[in-house]
Amino acid sequence: MNYLIGLAGPPCTVNITFADGDTRKTTTVKKENGTTELVALFSGQETVAGEVQIDPLPGKKVEHTGIKIELLGQIELYFDRGNFYDFTSLVRELDVPGEIKDRKTFGFEFSNVEMQYESYNGVNVRLRYILKVTISRSYAANIVKEKDFWVRNMSPPPEINNSIKMEVGIEDCLHIEFEYSKAKYHLKDVIVGKIYFLLVRIKIKHMELEIRRRESTGSGPNTYNESETLAKYEIMDGAPVRGESIPIRLFLSPYDLTPTYRNINNKFSVKYYINLVLVDEEERRYFKQQEITMLRLE
Amino acid sequence: MVLVLALGDLHIPHRAPDLPPKFKQMLVPGKIQHILSPGNLCIKEVQDYLKGLCSDVHIVKGEYDEVQNYPEHKVLTIGGFKLGICHGHQVVPWGDVESLAMLQRQLDVDILITGHTHQFKAYKHQGRLMINPGSATGAYSSITYDVNPSFVLMDIDGQRVVVYVYELVNGEVKVDKIDFRKPPPQANES
Amino acid sequence: MNEHSITATEEQEKWLADAQNVVKQQSFYMRKALDSSNLREALKYSAQMLVELRTSKLSPQKYYELYMQTFDELRHLEAFFQEESKRGRSNADLYELVQHAGNILPRLYLLITVGSVYIRSKEAPAKDILKDLVEMSRGVQHPIRGLFLRSYLSQISKDKLPDTGSDYEGEGGTIHDAVEFVLQNFTEMNKLWVRMQHQGSAKDKADREKREKERSELRDLVGKNLLVLSQLEGVDLELYKSTVLPRVLEQVVNCKDEIAQGYLMDCIIQVFPDEYHLQTLETLLAACPQLQPKVDIKSTMAGLMERLANYAAANSQVLSVFAEVEAFEKLSTAVATVVEAQVDMPLVSAVSLHVALLNFVLRCHADRLDYVDSVLGSCVKMLAGQGKIREAKSVKAIVALLSEPLAQYGDVVTVLQLGHYGQLMATLEFETNKVMAVLVIQSILKNGTRIGDCARVEALFQLLQELIRDGEDAPPVDQLDQEDFAEEQNLVARLLHVLVNDDPEEQFKILSAARKQFGLGGPRRLVFTLPPLVVESLKLVRRLQARGEVEEGGVTPKKVFQFLHQTVEALANVPAPELAFRLYLLCAEAASDCDLEPIAYEFFTQAFILYEEDIADSKAQVTALQLMTGTLQRTVVFGTENRDTLTHKATGYSAKLLKKPDQCRAVYNCSHLFWQDQEKGTRDGERVLLCLKRALRIANAAQQQANATRGSGGPVTLFVEILNKYLYHFDKGNQQVTTTVLQGLLELISTEVNSESAVQDPATEAFYASTLKHISFQKQKGGEAGDRYEAIKVQ
Repeated sequence: MNYLIGLAGPPCTVNITFADGDTRKTTTVKKENGTTELVALFSGQETVAGEVQIDPLPGKKVEHTGIKIELLGQIELYFDRGNFYDFTSLVRELDVPGEIKDRKTFGFEFSNVEMQYESYNGVNVRLRYILKVTISRSYAANIVKEKDFWVRNMSPPPEINNSIKMEVGIEDCLHIEFEYSKAKYHLKDVIVGKIYFLLVRIKIKHMELEIRRRESTGSGPNTYNESETLAKYEIMDGAPVRGESIPIRLFLSPYDLTPTYRNINNKFSVKYYINLVLVDEEERRYFKQQEITMLRLE
Repeated sequence: MVLVLALGDLHIPHRAPDLPPKFKQMLVPGKIQHILSPGNLCIKEVQDYLKGLCSDVHIVKGEYDEVQNYPEHKVLTIGGFKLGICHGHQVVPWGDVESLAMLQRQLDVDILITGHTHQFKAYKHQGRLMINPGSATGAYSSITYDVNPSFVLMDIDGQRVVVYVYELVNGEVKVDKIDFRKPPPQANES
Repeated sequence: MNEHSITATEEQEKWLADAQNVVKQQSFYMRKALDSSNLREALKYSAQMLVELRTSKLSPQKYYELYMQTFDELRHLEAFFQEESKRGRSNADLYELVQHAGNILPRLYLLITVGSVYIRSKEAPAKDILKDLVEMSRGVQHPIRGLFLRSYLSQISKDKLPDTGSDYEGEGGTIHDAVEFVLQNFTEMNKLWVRMQHQGSAKDKADREKREKERSELRDLVGKNLLVLSQLEGVDLELYKSTVLPRVLEQVVNCKDEIAQGYLMDCIIQVFPDEYHLQTLETLLAACPQLQPKVDIKSTMAGLMERLANYAAANSQVLSVFAEVEAFEKLSTAVATVVEAQVDMPLVSAVSLHVALLNFVLRCHADRLDYVDSVLGSCVKMLAGQGKIREAKSVKAIVALLSEPLAQYGDVVTVLQLGHYGQLMATLEFETNKVMAVLVIQSILKNGTRIGDCARVEALFQLLQELIRDGEDAPPVDQLDQEDFAEEQNLVARLLHVLVNDDPEEQFKILSAARKQFGLGGPRRLVFTLPPLVVESLKLVRRLQARGEVEEGGVTPKKVFQFLHQTVEALANVPAPELAFRLYLLCAEAASDCDLEPIAYEFFTQAFILYEEDIADSKAQVTALQLMTGTLQRTVVFGTENRDTLTHKATGYSAKLLKKPDQCRAVYNCSHLFWQDQEKGTRDGERVLLCLKRALRIANAAQQQANATRGSGGPVTLFVEILNKYLYHFDKGNQQVTTTVLQGLLELISTEVNSESAVQDPATEAFYASTLKHISFQKQKGGEAGDRYEAIKVQ
C-alpha cells in the first residue's frame, strides 16, 4: 500500500512540528534500518503541542473528509509483528471535510498527557510514542504522517538503597564475598564495591563485571526472554590469593542503559543485572548474577 | 767492599726465643755478602733464616747444633783476608786468648772468629785479629754473666777491614768500630 | 638441553619483537591523535598500546624492555594531559574518562598517568589521588604485571608525595600520607613478588631455579620502595621508629619467604641511616629470629654489625650512644635468640654470627674484655654437646673467633683473661687446635709479650694442650709429620723464655708448672721442652745468687738445683744422653759458681755416668770430653779429693778415645785441668807436664801407627799442637816446662818436618812457621818473659 502511495505520490506534504521545537531537548534514537534519528524528548504529564502544516504540491489540491491528529502510545512486539497495542490514544480533530489548495497550518495541543511508560527500543519489543496525522479521503487512500517522539520519566531518588552483599563459593575450591555499595543505580551512576577472596584453589586468570539486561516479553507459555550483555569490564588480572580484596569501580555512563521496567502494561519487562565472572586458566567461567535496579533520576 | 756478618750462639730455642726484634729489623736480605757463624744456632730454622738473609752462609759446629754436618772449623778467603771460624768449645780453657791464638796459628788465618763465651771480643794479637761476636740473642752462658745480644759486621776492603760491633744494651743498639789493616807479609819474617 | 634453551631464548626475542612492533604502531597512532588533540582517539590507541603489557609470555627481563618502551610513550600522553588540563579540561573528568577502558591493565596505566597530572594540578589533594591509585592497583594480581604496574606508580609518584617541605604538603596531605602510600605500595609489591615463588611446580628443580632467578631480577623493584622511604625528608627517627620500621618488618616477617626476607633485611640495613639502626636495634633484631630458617640471617646481621662498627669508627662521638642504647647487649641477645630459634641453621652460620659480633665488639668496644669473653662464652654454650667440631667452614670460623682477639690485642696476656677462650679452643679437633695453639705462641713471640703470672701461665698451657701433650683425639706421636712436630715443639721451647717474673718465687712456680705440664708430653717432647726449662732455671739460680739470704720456705739455689737434677735426669731417661750430658755440665758449673760442692760433684758424676753408659759414638765422645774438660777446667769449688777423682776420670777417658789423634788432643787439653788461673785454682805443674808427656807419647804412637798403615808422614801437626801447649804452659810460668823440654820438642818437629819421608803438608808447615813466629813475638816482648823465651833457640 505504501508502495502504491509512493508511486502515485501524495498530493501534499505533511509536516508536524512541536511548539518548542527549537528549544526542546532531543535524543538520538536508533531506527530499525540502523540509522539514527534525532527525536524530541518529552516526559510524562507534559503538554504535547505544535503545528501540522499541510502543503499541497503545486497544482494539486487535497480533498478530504476530515483531518485528525492522534497521540499514540504503542507497544510493538516483534514476534507478533504488526500487532500494535495502543495503551494511549488521544485524538484531536484538525479540520472538517473540505479541500486544501494552499498551505494550511493547524495548531494542536494535548495537554498534560499521561505518558507513564518510557520509550524503549528493545530486542523483541518496542514502546513508542507517535503523533499521527490522518487526512481522510473518501475515494483515495488516507494520507498518513507519523512523527515519533521520545518519552523519559524521571523518578525520585530511592528512599531505601541497601548494599548488595553476598558470600558465594564452590566448596573447597573458591570462596568469595562480594559487596556492591548499592542495589539501585541511576543511569550515570558508578558501581563501587569490593571482592574478598576467602578461599582460592583454582587458578584464576581474570575477573570481570558484566552489566546484563534481560528483556521479557509476552506472558505465560509465550514468554520470551532476551538477555544482552551491555558492559564487560575487567576488574582483576591474574590470580589472587586468600585474603586479597579487589576494588570495583564501574562507571555506568558509557553504556546505553535504561531504567528497570518491572511490568510495562503486562506486555514486557526490562531488568538489569551485575554479573561477576571469574575465568580460570582453562577458560572455565564461574559467575554470580545479581539484579540491580536502574533508575532515571531527576 | 764486602760486608760480612758474623753472628753465633743464638741458642734458639734452648736459651732464647728469637733474635731481638731490633736486630731483625737491621738484618735485611740483600745487604750482606757473606755470613760467618761460629755455631750454636741450635735448630735448622735459624740456619734457614740466615740463608734468607744471604746465600753465602758458613757455619761451624757448636755443641748444641742439631744439624750434624757442620765442620768443626772452616777457613775461607774474603778480599785480602784469610778467615777462620770455629765455635770454640773445643779450645780449652774456653775463651782463653793464648789457646785461641794457637788455633789461629794452626788455621793460619788473619781473622779468627769464635764464639762459645757469649762475650763480644775483638782484638789484635800478634798482627792478627780475633773476633768473638758474642751471642746474637744474648743467650745464657755459664761463662759470662749478663750477656748482651751482639753481632759483628765486617766491612772488608782489600787489606783493610772495619769491624762494626752491634750490641743491644738496655734496649738500645750501640755500635762500636774497630779498624784493622793487615800487616805487610815481610814484617813477620824478621 | 642446550638447543632447547636457545630456542627458548629465540622465542622470547620473537615475542618481544612482536610486542614492541605493536607498541610502536599503536603509539604512532596515539601520537598522531595527540597532535590533532583528539583525546578519544588518543585514549583508544594508548589503551591498545598498553594491551601489549598484558602478555604472560615474556620473561621478566624482556617484559622490562617492553615496559620501558611503553613508559617512554606514556610520557607523551602525560604531556598531553598536562596541556589538556591547562586548556581547561577538568582533571577529574579525565580521571573518570580513562576509567572507562574495559581492560584493567591499560586502564590502570592510564589512570596513573592522569593521576600524575591531576596531583600536579592540585585540583585534588595528592593524598586522595595517591590513595586511590594504590588501592585501584590491587586489581592486578598477576605478579609480574602487578610489580611493573606498581613500579610505574612508584616511579610516577615519587616526586609528588606530600613529603615534609614538598609542594604537595598541606592540602595535599602530610608525611604520614606519603609514608602510608609508599608502605602500602611496598607491601603489595612484596606480596606479588613472593607470589612468584608459588607459581609453577615446587618440586621441579630447574623450574624452581629459573623462577628464583627471575625473582632476583625483579627484587630491586620492591626494594626501591624502601629507598623512597629513606629519601623522604619527613621520615625522621621518630617516624621511622614508630611507623616505618615496624610496618616494613611486619611485611618482611609475615611474607614468610626466604628470598624476600633476606633481601629486604639487607635493604633496610643498607638504605636507612646507621643512626636509625642504632636507635631501633631492638625492633630490627627482634625480627631476625622470626625469619624463615633458610634465610641467610647470618650475613644480614653481620652486615648490620659491620655497618654499625664502621659508623662507630667514623664517628667516635657516637660510641656513647652505643653504650646508651646497649647496642652490644642487644646484638648479643639477638645472636643467641636467632641461633636458638633457627634450629636448622648450619653450624657455620651460627659461629659466623659470633665472629661478626666479636668483630663488632673489637671495633666498638675494644676495651670491654667482658664483652669479648661473653661472645666467646655464647659460642661455647652454643657448641656444647657438639663434640669436636670438624666441619671445615665452622672450624675456620671458630679459628677466626680465636684469632681476632689475638690480632686485636697483640697480647696474649689480655687474651688469657678471657675465661671462655680455652673452652672455645677445646671445641676444635686436634689438628686445628694445634694450629691455633701455634698461632697463640707466634702472637706472643711476635709481640714480645711477657707472661709472668703463674695462673696465667697455667691458663696459657691450657690453650696449648695439643702441643704440650697427646690429646684424646690426637694421632700417635710417631704418625705426626716429624718436621712439623719439631717446629711446633721448638715454638713451645721458645715460648718458655717469655714466661718470666722478676720475683724468683713466682718464677719458680712458673717453672714448676711448666715442668709439670711438659712432663705430660712424653719423651718425644721432652727433648724439646726440657732444655729451655733447664736454662731458665739456671737463670733463676743466677738471680737467687744475687739475692742472697731468703726467708724460710723461700726458693733457694739448692731447691732449684734439685729441680734441675730431676729435670735433666728426665731428659737422660728419654734417652737423650748427649743433651743431658751437656745440661749436667751446665748445672755443674752453675753449682760451682754457687759454691755448692756436693751438688756440683753430683752433676759431674751424673755426666760421667752418662758418658760411660750412653755416649758410645767416638765423635760424640770427643766433643763430650772437650766439654767435660772445658767445664772442669773452669770449676774451682772442689776440694782435692773430689777434684782428683774428677780429673782422673777425665784424663782416663781422654786417653781411651778411639783414635790416637783424638786421644792426644783430649789429653793435652786435660793438662789445663791442673793449671787454673782463678784465684783458688789448682796449679800443679808436674801433673801438667805428665799430661803433656802423655800426649807426646800418644802422638808418637799415632805417628808410628800412621807410618805403619800408610807408609808416609804422620800427623806432625800433633807435635806442633803439643809444642804450642808446652809454650802455653811455659808462658804461664809452669816451672816444670823448661827450655830444655821445649828445645827437644822443637828439634823433634824440625826433624820430622825436614825428614825425607815426610809428606809435604803446607798446613802443618804454616802452623809450625806461625808457632815459630809466635816464639819470636814473645822474645820481642822483652821483660822477664822475654828473657825466658830468649833461651829458646829457633833454627
